[in-house]
Amino acid sequence: MKMVTILAGLILVFVFVWERVDTVRVGYQIERSKAQKLLLERERDQLQVRFSSLTAPERIAKMATERLGMIQPQQGQVVTVHERPEGIPVPPPVPNEVRVAKNDLPKRLRE
Amino acid sequence: MGPSRPRRYLVLILLLCGFGLILFRLVTLQVLQAAELTAKADRQHQKSVTFEGARGAITDRHGKVLAMNMEVPSVFGVPTALENPLRVARHLAPVLHIRSDEIEKKLRQDRSFVWVARKVLPEQGRQLEQMSLEGIGVVMEGRRFYPKGPLLSHVLGFAGIDGEGLEGLERRYEPHLHGEKRITILQRDALGRTVFPKGLAEQPPTPGHALTLTIDEVVQYIAEKELEEAVNHAHAKAGTIIVLDPQSGAILAMAVSPRFDPNAVAALTPDRWRNRALTDTYEPGSTMKVVVAAAALEEHLMTPGTMVFGENGRMLVANTTIHDHEKLGWMTFAQMIQKSSNIGAAKTGMILGEQRLYRYLQGFGFGQKTDIDLPGEVSGLLKPPKEWGRRSLASISMGQEIGVTPIQMVTAAATLANGGVMMKPYLVSEVRDQKGHLLKEFRPQVKRRAVSPETARTMTTILEGVVMNGTGAKAAIPGYRVAGKTGTAQKIDSRTGAYSATQFVGSFVGYVPADAPRLAMIIVIDEPQGEAWGGTIAAPVFRRVGEQVLNYLGVPPSGQVKVAMAAQGR
Repeated sequence: MKMVTILAGLILVFVFVWERVDTVRVGYQIERSKAQKLLLERERDQLQVRFSSLTAPERIAKMATERLGMIQPQQGQVVTVHERPEGIPVPPPVPNEVRVAKNDLPKRLRE
Repeated sequence: MGPSRPRRYLVLILLLCGFGLILFRLVTLQVLQAAELTAKADRQHQKSVTFEGARGAITDRHGKVLAMNMEVPSVFGVPTALENPLRVARHLAPVLHIRSDEIEKKLRQDRSFVWVARKVLPEQGRQLEQMSLEGIGVVMEGRRFYPKGPLLSHVLGFAGIDGEGLEGLERRYEPHLHGEKRITILQRDALGRTVFPKGLAEQPPTPGHALTLTIDEVVQYIAEKELEEAVNHAHAKAGTIIVLDPQSGAILAMAVSPRFDPNAVAALTPDRWRNRALTDTYEPGSTMKVVVAAAALEEHLMTPGTMVFGENGRMLVANTTIHDHEKLGWMTFAQMIQKSSNIGAAKTGMILGEQRLYRYLQGFGFGQKTDIDLPGEVSGLLKPPKEWGRRSLASISMGQEIGVTPIQMVTAAATLANGGVMMKPYLVSEVRDQKGHLLKEFRPQVKRRAVSPETARTMTTILEGVVMNGTGAKAAIPGYRVAGKTGTAQKIDSRTGAYSATQFVGSFVGYVPADAPRLAMIIVIDEPQGEAWGGTIAAPVFRRVGEQVLNYLGVPPSGQVKVAMAAQGR
């Protein structure tokens, strides 16, 4: 009985010490993760600023015109196609016109 | 044998004296000088520094970032911990690109904390951390960046070194944008190194709220590019352009030329960052005829077909002569607007009378702020009729003796585009917290009805005539119906107090497509050199901007709409 009590006491002490040690270990892990998160957030912000400045319309237009030789679309070169609103039926297809030379028609249809 | 009794007493007395001295010193330090010494110790190893959460970002209507904060290093010194300030200053100078004597001067101050350089480049901060100089520390602070450079600079404004909004939206929305302020105690450890308390890492101050604007980055770019070109081409002093959605009052673009870079404002004067679109008044000239004509139509005093005599280009009013730019005879009311007749406008104003004209001017928003969400807006200049002179009625009708701002004038034109209903112009559509939760939403706001839908429709037809057959021909956009009016006004010469013969303001205000307006726009060119007619220098800007923006927004030309409708009806 005495041995069991001592063993239980030792286990309790061990669990208590292990719990304390593990708490400290996890605490350090959390601190490291927080520091890493901070660094990643800073990097994200730096990349966001860089991305925004690189995608500025002024820069894109300059590169398009000066480096790639692109020009503004001229009148008639832009055709806007809008999606058909729901509920409006699709019109039946227009039958293709077939032109047949008069000489190729059967005799009864030539007149 | 032990020591003799006198010697024992001597040792005891000496011990007592020693303990007495220690006790006396203890009482002196801990009780008598306690407050003074505690304060001194605090000054040496503690410093309270205010830190602020990151300032909220500003984005355009599609979420494109226009302003945001980024953490950058700031360098500070602890003079009381420095043994050789000169040596430290010489180490810092080449890294920070600041003269060593300037740094030394800061480090020799009788203080426990000084900023050496704030918001330096990340690379400089890394170098200093590697050098680990005694008494020098690096902390991270938020710095405001405007990644698009000068784009929208007059609207965005800028924030100061301490992160407070100083101009533009940065100032107007300061209560939303600024982050939470938190005072932190900076401490030195046992080795004299400066450290932060652990708590700072655990609870960073809350960042500010983010703003979403009604501005479209691409429309803004097109407007700025075309305005800049027009101002440079005309060698003008300045220029302003505003593009808005007439149905909601949402501003799509607002630009002033010359531009400035809000990332580098230190060397600039306030004149450079003033938003002329709402701070500068000008005499509008002929664009004011739009309001006078709308008032006359609304009061059923005129119809588009009413005949008006142009007095062959000269008319005497209150002992002064009013001129037209050409000798005009009989013409219809619509032609009078298309030809921009001063005499016709003056006659219309006289028919309206002082009180009615004043009432309509107020109805269209002149003489009062539009309440746009930007700081610095002025009311313009509109005197009450009791202060008008004998010529005022005629002068105001042709756009003189009245001061307006570009935002007032474009709002008035947008009112006609919106069927006579005036909308409040606005720039911010949403405010969100750092997690993206919507805190505040700004919806289109009706200010008042200025004229009836019939009058607005009739005015649109007349203003389409201005572009098709009148002075605004250069504003015509092939494929689209454009309504608008040109304006050319002489400026008052500040030296003589009279109208200048060389200084003009050329403008054009209009909307497109006239049948279903998507854009209302004003272009004002201040003091162009050479030809100064609004129809020559401002109207072409309307065409170029309108053409590109309509393409970008996917607004089909009027002809294409008809084809689509025909196809549907088949």
